Amino acid sequence: MVMPFDSLNELSDEALLVAFGNGERLAARVLTARLTPRVLGFAARMLKDRAEAEDVTQEAMLRLWRIAPDWRQGEAKVTTWLYRVASNLCTDRLRKARGVGLDEVAEPEDDRPGAAEGLQARQRADALQAALDTLPERQRQAVVLRHIEGLGNPEIAEIMDIGVEAVESLTARGKRALASALAGRREELGFEDG
Amino acid sequence: MAEKRPLTDTELEALFSAAASDAAEPSEALMRRVLADSDGVADGWSAPAPAQPAGPGLLARLLSGLGGWPGLAGLATAGVAGLAIGIASPGALATLSSGLVAGEVIDDYHMVDLLPGLTGFFDEG
Repeated sequence: MVMPFDSLNELSDEALLVAFGNGERLAARVLTARLTPRVLGFAARMLKDRAEAEDVTQEAMLRLWRIAPDWRQGEAKVTTWLYRVASNLCTDRLRKARGVGLDEVAEPEDDRPGAAEGLQARQRADALQAALDTLPERQRQAVVLRHIEGLGNPEIAEIMDIGVEAVESLTARGKRALASALAGRREELGFEDG
Repeated sequence: MAEKRPLTDTELEALFSAAASDAAEPSEALMRRVLADSDGVADGWSAPAPAQPAGPGLLARLLSGLGGWPGLAGLATAGVAGLAIGIASPGALATLSSGLVAGEVIDDYHMVDLLPGLTGFFDEG
């Protein structure tokens, strides 16, 4: 039975994945629209290279499609599963990239239009990203998931396969490091100098 | 030069929220690739189960039963030899077989009885 797109749109990720596993292809369209931007957003923050982030996103989504027939509703959240897969794929890529000299790592593209009203927001986002890039990988991962993706600590603990306390410690250390790293750019970021 | 004071939590929050609204947008090409993958996976489920790969043919099975090509070569050689012997029907062969069957020309083959003591066991009676 083919369901209308609108009614599918109201279903949870888990229900949609089960529907896709049962051959409802339209469910994959809703999931693609819903989840691809989230995975890409996360992967792009973890990896400096946009093309690599896209590859990771495609691979994570492909694994999601493949697991659909075996997915049991209520056992896990689709987003948790997906972030976990994406995390592992990013970690693999970062490990491989460590063998590459710094000069060979592609610079992030910065050809986005800088509308005047969004300029400060853009500057803030870029400054944060630059500071995030200097964090150790696990700290960066925890901070991105907690403060940018907005996930809860228990979910992050599941994604990173560590305890909740370890997540709290990673995010606290990450935030402290970011706060110090960005101290010198306070004025540029539009904060009052103190 | 003013002391560099670390950013406050509020300031960091402002950066995080700026970053959250500045997330990388997936390109149309990426969305198409992801959707194409979903179709590819779904095609795999709806396609009829792949036919069992045809097993080896009769000839191949016969051949393997005989020990492959080397076995077949040996068999052919033996066959040809058998045929040749049958056609030629050499006298020596008749002597050999009659000697064995009749049991009287053993010495003709210069065989040495290494265990003469056993000869008694072969006696009838």
